Amino acid sequence: MKKTKKIGLVCSAGGHYTEMLQLWEAFEEYPKFLLTYREVTTKDQKGAYFVENIFRGPLAFIKGVGRIFMILLKERPDILFSTGSEIAAPAFYFGKFLFGTKLIYLECSAQVFLPSLTGRCVYPITDLFLVQWEPLLRKYGPKAKYVGGLI
Amino acid sequence: MIFVTVGNHYQGFDRLIKKVDEIASRTSYDILIQKGYSRYCPQSARYFDFVPIQTAMDYIRTSELVISHAGIGTIILCKEHGIPLILLPRKKKYGEHGTDHQVEIVKAIEERRDDYIFVVYEEDQLEGKIAEVLTIKQKPVPRVNMGRANLINTIRAFIQEGER
Repeated sequence: MKKTKKIGLVCSAGGHYTEMLQLWEAFEEYPKFLLTYREVTTKDQKGAYFVENIFRGPLAFIKGVGRIFMILLKERPDILFSTGSEIAAPAFYFGKFLFGTKLIYLECSAQVFLPSLTGRCVYPITDLFLVQWEPLLRKYGPKAKYVGGLI
Repeated sequence: MIFVTVGNHYQGFDRLIKKVDEIASRTSYDILIQKGYSRYCPQSARYFDFVPIQTAMDYIRTSELVISHAGIGTIILCKEHGIPLILLPRKKKYGEHGTDHQVEIVKAIEERRDDYIFVVYEEDQLEGKIAEVLTIKQKPVPRVNMGRANLINTIRAFIQEGER
């Protein structure tokens, strides 16, 4: 029997975090960990790794990206899932090219007509790419899927 | 209680906070504001900057009305719990966000005609809209979110591929 897959959940704080909590059920019976920013809103989350916001400055960026690498090295997830935003980019690129991780990305519900920067950045390497508004399909390639949105 | 929230975005939303505080100064509404990174400190309404998400969820659940920027988290939670919501989108030209995508979100929501989600484009329309929404006697019906169910099923199917 194949071992149970381990899932890494990656998101920034705010709406991205609320979207992640809405989808928690999808990962219920799997071993998992959350990787998010340390903020007042997220600090009570159990089973989470916290990093400082990587956009706070060059030093925060280097420290944050380094920490994301160390967490992935330790956890070795089989699948990474992200609801955005930029915190997904280093995690997805490390995951894909260093650990062969399968990647699922959900473009944020805030993107109605235009892709997000993070979405465009991770689209080429993502295995399952979901958008939450149908018009956005036209801005991405054939890999993008629309099955519904959270709002 | 009326709960006002502007989320986690690093730019403030003083335009909304100031207007709500002004309304609080001359009405009897019980108003609580989450001001986030806004610089204006309310003089008439109760306020705080941030709380853990579970606390924010409790505030939303127990509110009669929520007033918010067009943030996804708040829209999801108000719909889930059937709480009437008034949205004022952040605008780039006022330094409230990096793009005008919140205007796109409210337009898309208006087009869909969701029950109990109301949109104002200018802060001056807010007071009239609050009075209008509070007089609606009928309560929103919390609906099954098929979008969420479909997303969960699609993600689960992907994870399970090759497991059997």
